[in-house]
Amino acid sequence: MTMALRWGLPAVVVAACVGYLIYSASGGSSEYYLTVSQLRSQAPAGDVRVAGVVQNDVQKSDGGLHVTFTAKDGTASMPVEYTGTLPDIFQPGITVVVEGRLSGDGVFHARTLLAKCPSRFSTQPYTQ
Amino acid sequence: MLVVSLAPAADAANLRRTSGVVILGYLGAGALLAGLVMGGFSALLSFWAGWRETDVFIQVGRRAFYAAAAMTAIAALLLEVALLTHDFSLAYVAEHTDLSTPMPLVAAGFYGGQEGSLLYWTLILGLLGCASLVASARIGARVAAYAAGILALILSFFLFVLAVVASPFDLLSITPPDGLGLNPVLRDGGMLIHPPVVLAGFASFAIPFAFACAALLAGRADAAWIRHTRRFALLAWSLQSAGLLLGMWWAYHVLGWGGYWSWDPVENVALMPWLATTAYLHSSQVQEKRGRLRTWNFGLVILAFLLVVFGTFIVRSGVVPSVHTFAISAIGPWFFAFLFACIVFSAALIAFRAGGARAHVEPAPAVSREGAFVLQNLLLIGVIAVVFWGTILPLVSGMLGTERVVGAAYYERAGGPIFVVILGLMAVGPLLPWRQAGSASLRAIRWPAATASVVLVGLLVVGIRSIPALLAFPLAAGVAATVFTEYGRAFKKPRTILRKRRRYGAYLAHLGLVVVVAGLAASHFAQQEKDVTLRPGETVTVSGYTLTYTGSEQRELQDHTDFVAAMRFGDKTLEPSRATYGGLGGQALTHVAITTTPTSDVYVVLAATGTDGSASFRIFVNPLVTWIWAGGAVIILGVVLGNVGERGAAPELARRRVPVTLPA
Repeated sequence: MTMALRWGLPAVVVAACVGYLIYSASGGSSEYYLTVSQLRSQAPAGDVRVAGVVQNDVQKSDGGLHVTFTAKDGTASMPVEYTGTLPDIFQPGITVVVEGRLSGDGVFHARTLLAKCPSRFSTQPYTQ
Repeated sequence: MLVVSLAPAADAANLRRTSGVVILGYLGAGALLAGLVMGGFSALLSFWAGWRETDVFIQVGRRAFYAAAAMTAIAALLLEVALLTHDFSLAYVAEHTDLSTPMPLVAAGFYGGQEGSLLYWTLILGLLGCASLVASARIGARVAAYAAGILALILSFFLFVLAVVASPFDLLSITPPDGLGLNPVLRDGGMLIHPPVVLAGFASFAIPFAFACAALLAGRADAAWIRHTRRFALLAWSLQSAGLLLGMWWAYHVLGWGGYWSWDPVENVALMPWLATTAYLHSSQVQEKRGRLRTWNFGLVILAFLLVVFGTFIVRSGVVPSVHTFAISAIGPWFFAFLFACIVFSAALIAFRAGGARAHVEPAPAVSREGAFVLQNLLLIGVIAVVFWGTILPLVSGMLGTERVVGAAYYERAGGPIFVVILGLMAVGPLLPWRQAGSASLRAIRWPAATASVVLVGLLVVGIRSIPALLAFPLAAGVAATVFTEYGRAFKKPRTILRKRRRYGAYLAHLGLVVVVAGLAASHFAQQEKDVTLRPGETVTVSGYTLTYTGSEQRELQDHTDFVAAMRFGDKTLEPSRATYGGLGGQALTHVAITTTPTSDVYVVLAATGTDGSASFRIFVNPLVTWIWAGGAVIILGVVLGNVGERGAAPELARRRVPVTLPA
């Protein structure tokens, strides 16, 4: 058996297996990452992640564990419904990323809700 | 805004301080600039002198590197002094600390922001670079000179960014009376230890990279560079391992979602260099012992360093959405250019210089220690590929159309099977001899196989049907059995353990990894979670643990107000709370309460409070999480016991040329 075959064959086999794993896993579990207006215009099936700004109509119930609010970007808005603990910085005006799906009645049922905070490691810099 | 309105009142104080204090900023900027000049000089001179093999100038080039590192150290010292003396004339100090921040955290502000953390990176690079160059002449004047040149180039790049693009010594036009303070999320003990360890782990891998490239440039394909940088590679690996685990520990204790790893891009880019370094630590042994895999080792070291630079670029440029990103800054393009230059330089080196590195040793059969190392390497690179694709998918898909992202499910489905095979290999590999698969070693595999089978049957009897769990636990037990088999063999001749410290230290590290894997698997597959709203006096039970809500109170502390909801658990009181920080627009922060029982962590998050005294909690029961931290300590212990004070054996090939038939 030549050197190329001896080391090349296992490498090719491993590469093929890894390639297949990546292909099958990313096909099955990747999600679209959209803005609210993109979601409104194309409405893909399945779970999506949507980024939008929390509006002033936050309503909490069930001891604060259930929340509804409107998420909005430049042009479009959508009602969001979520059950679970909220990020510490959750309040009207911040951008959130919700993961879930849009139901037939137009309400977005979020499975997870993350606050998008572009400067986690620093506070606002002084304006000079 | 704030600055302008408060300025007049602070003027008098400023005038008194200005003369002595603004100088600090100028001195720091001057030190960085001087370091940059020294670094550039060292790079040019070292390459030229190495090429001409002029010993005197090689010396001068090396000393210029020491000088550049000393300047970096002076700059770092000045920044720390500025922080500790609350010199708010520096924008960096004003933006990352304030007067109410506890002193240890003020000191930690050094690496708490973009510019300071870059300076810390540079400092570690400079110090370790000096340490690696001190005794470098014995591996050949030319290699040593080229290594100094490459280290000086890297150092100069960082000093350039620090001096020109993102200086920590930028002055504010008006000195504010107080700073903005550290982000509340970072006001935690974890801040004192996680970032410096991670960043040092990243920076230290520049040393093996520099010596590998220098050896390639000089056409020296033997294992001298590996032996010379082995300690630095081990240090880098240990720091990266500790950094990852500390990051998990910190996230677990602070973020309050019950887990420790979320496949965030920032976590991913820290994991990838660790995987590459792990692969290198194993494959470098093949070259040290058997003189094989030379080109492969060059490639791995280069890959590990490129992944470090890639990670630094991702974290600091904000190109991939993440919760960890630094404030948007101008350094992104510079790091991209640096990454690009590193890739081109390394690719050219491999393409043009690695040809002469081909080993002239007869090939080993596939089922041998060498074969196991090669397979392990390929699999680790497979994991890197999985993580890399998941990390850059938003970038790639965004360029091609609609942005797509993957979550934890992707990494588990694609990476999980590979990890399982690696675990199996860990059980078998150490039992295989170098060069050939002897029948004696095949017989030894019965112990791990038997142990794994017993655990598998046990799990099935208990009623566990999850396939990943049925693979992970038995294989982990198999790895443990392999380690004990090897130790058992060695205890018949105790001196072997001392003579082969590296090997038995590595086995201890394997054992530590088994403990970590058990902790990861248990907390991943068997986590329990419950949301509940309680009135004072009411009780909740989660997977056998009973908690009673006793009431809430408000506490005023140095820099924040704590709203505490107390829960009684046995004879302990858990105090999950929500803190509100006054100085930062009322930013809130959840403080998780965790208590550890022999088998599980009970993890309580205060989700919300009602006006009637009721409180909502999210309660997790996480089995065996403490095993992860304990296993991490065992891994580090294994590396330390196996290597500290170990002088590094002479190369196997040189010592005995006769074929070795028994496992060495």
